[in-house]
Amino acid sequence: MSTLTDPSAVPSGGRHSLFRAGLRRRATPYLMVLPLMGFIAAFTYIPIAASLNLSFREWDFLSPDKPFVGLDNYRLLLSSHEFWNALKVTTVFALISVPLRLLLALGIASYLVRETLPSRFLRGALFLPSVTSTVAIAVVFSWIFSTDYGLMNAGLQLLGAPKVMWLQDPQLALFVLILVNTWKQLGYDIIIYIAGLQAIPQELYDAAAIDGGRRRHVFRRVTLPLVMPTTYFLLVISVIDAFQVFTIVDVMTHGGPAGATDMLVNMLFRVGFTLFDIGTGSALAVLLFVLLIALALIKSRFLGRNIHYGS
Amino acid sequence: MRNSNRTVIAAGALALGSIAAPAMADVTVEFWHSFSGASGDALNEIVEKFEAANPGIDIDAQYVGNYNDIVSKLQAAIPARRAPDAVIMEVTRYGLFADRGVLLDLTPYLDADPLKDDLFDFAREVGVYDGKNYIVPFNSSTPVLYYNKAILEQAGYDEEPPLKTYDDLLNVAKTITEKLGDQGITGIAAPGQFARWGLIMSNDSDLIDSVTGEILIDAPNTVEAYDWMASLVHEAKVASPDGVTEEKNGRDAFYAGKVGLMMNSTGNYGGAISALGDDVVVRPMPCNKVCRVPIGGAGIGILSTSEKEVQDAAYKFISYAASPESNALWFSVTGYMPINKHTAEQPLAAEALKTKPGIRVAIDQLPFAKGRPRPPVVTWMRATEYEMWQAMALGQRGVQDTLDAFAERTRQEEARTN
Repeated sequence: MSTLTDPSAVPSGGRHSLFRAGLRRRATPYLMVLPLMGFIAAFTYIPIAASLNLSFREWDFLSPDKPFVGLDNYRLLLSSHEFWNALKVTTVFALISVPLRLLLALGIASYLVRETLPSRFLRGALFLPSVTSTVAIAVVFSWIFSTDYGLMNAGLQLLGAPKVMWLQDPQLALFVLILVNTWKQLGYDIIIYIAGLQAIPQELYDAAAIDGGRRRHVFRRVTLPLVMPTTYFLLVISVIDAFQVFTIVDVMTHGGPAGATDMLVNMLFRVGFTLFDIGTGSALAVLLFVLLIALALIKSRFLGRNIHYGS
Repeated sequence: MRNSNRTVIAAGALALGSIAAPAMADVTVEFWHSFSGASGDALNEIVEKFEAANPGIDIDAQYVGNYNDIVSKLQAAIPARRAPDAVIMEVTRYGLFADRGVLLDLTPYLDADPLKDDLFDFAREVGVYDGKNYIVPFNSSTPVLYYNKAILEQAGYDEEPPLKTYDDLLNVAKTITEKLGDQGITGIAAPGQFARWGLIMSNDSDLIDSVTGEILIDAPNTVEAYDWMASLVHEAKVASPDGVTEEKNGRDAFYAGKVGLMMNSTGNYGGAISALGDDVVVRPMPCNKVCRVPIGGAGIGILSTSEKEVQDAAYKFISYAASPESNALWFSVTGYMPINKHTAEQPLAAEALKTKPGIRVAIDQLPFAKGRPRPPVVTWMRATEYEMWQAMALGQRGVQDTLDAFAERTRQEEARTN
């Protein structure tokens, strides 16, 4: 160990040994991260590169040849109604579900941040959906929102209201999915917000109280700015999550009715694994990747600079 | 001394042979299938009997999901070189795999197998693509009409009403919905894709002509058939929209005694009997303009990448699975149709025909059963049809417009795929 840090410990072998010791010192950090980098490369970077390569080729998973077709897959995608529909549906999903998740989570976390027995119990209860199987949740909600046999319509009928086609009405199905996704993810957002709120120094609230600050003013002037790093983190995560939503849609609506809930990832799966068009599926994956990178940069450009990480 | 040397050498060779012989003969065939529950148990029984009769062959039968799951997993397994040796493939979806050389041409095997003459014509035909045999049928089916006798009686039918035409079905479905709607009972289950195909055929049309390959999605009789099917949901409101977005909801509601009529595969007979007992009645599909039903189900294919020895063993199993003994066991448990001409002679099959009268209906439909097309574009067409059907059935788009656009896109896709 001392051979790397103490020059006096270098053997008297001359300049050659000194050079080797220096080389080892410089190489050590790289060798340390090599296993991790290798892992990330094998499971992230190489698949991304392979996907990029496939997006310029025509392949059905079965043929031995993968002819190069240039930008044909991208042209096919950008001229298709399905792609623009899926992009629109996914954008609407993200625009509604992300603010809804963050607002609800912050509101609930503000109440649950206190260390009381009921709040501890509620934290656990609200976090449960996050650790429950998404497929199980989607199946249960499919039955709850079933038109003829579901709990929701049974309740409405008890009140004398007519049945609602929750999952068959194109105007409603997407909102049902947003609701289910929000319910599933809310617990995680709440826990992260509670951690963020607990990190705010109590002295600031004490000072605000001495100054006679009202509760909502304290929330706006103290809590909100200081919880912004958490909000920013959740914003990034929830936008990515919204653009990658798949399981709930696949189980509850399969992208229907008539494409009304067809998200980008559902389309990707259908094109690639049902229609055997790996080239176009890969092109869609690349476009989704670029879109998410662009959104992250935009968020960083407009929000990142206003966030202060010190209290 | 010489003799003793010979004895030692002979004993050594014998010992070596006794060790090597089973190792040489032991072949494991990895077989992917799509049967669980009672069907899975029946298949496992067939596998066990085959292994007992063929000690050198081990069939590693694996349930990997439904037909779609098998196709998806096979796609991923082939480039990863982890494909099985034998696989169940749905009768309209193996064409692409045959076309790309993934499936082994079984013609030489079948030509040398007495089974070829024992198979019914329809069963032999469903395995042929481009003049060659790629799958040997295992579970063949047609859609049939099921009804719940108790529900019809509650709706006021003391005798069986006519169920031959579209109008007949609509009348019965309307009566059930009107009289029992308050109890949450609907007249008819929204037809699933297999039943839709059957209803189109009974209207003297098709989606793609199985002989000429002509796309008939926008043919007048197809449009008329879809118009009637869609009207069940959004106009007459005798079918629940739940079954439009999720096909199995219609079947589950029928099993739960919440639906009067259902058109579905013969493969559901066992499930229907388990759920509803003697209340289940099976009748042939309606003959609106003609009597014609599609043949569904699946067959077993062999992967061309497997070793010759494994392929031989796999074929041996496939041939055994289609034998009268195996087919009788399979038919009596599941309700899938017999594919072997000698199946009915088996005691198990005879007993099933006696005790489960509904099981005979599919056999009676065989004279007018028709194979479906299986070129590569069919996979695309079937996957896209769900979205088109939803748009029509839920009244979001006109039937003629939808089918015109769908036909056009299918023609483009066919040109692209070819």
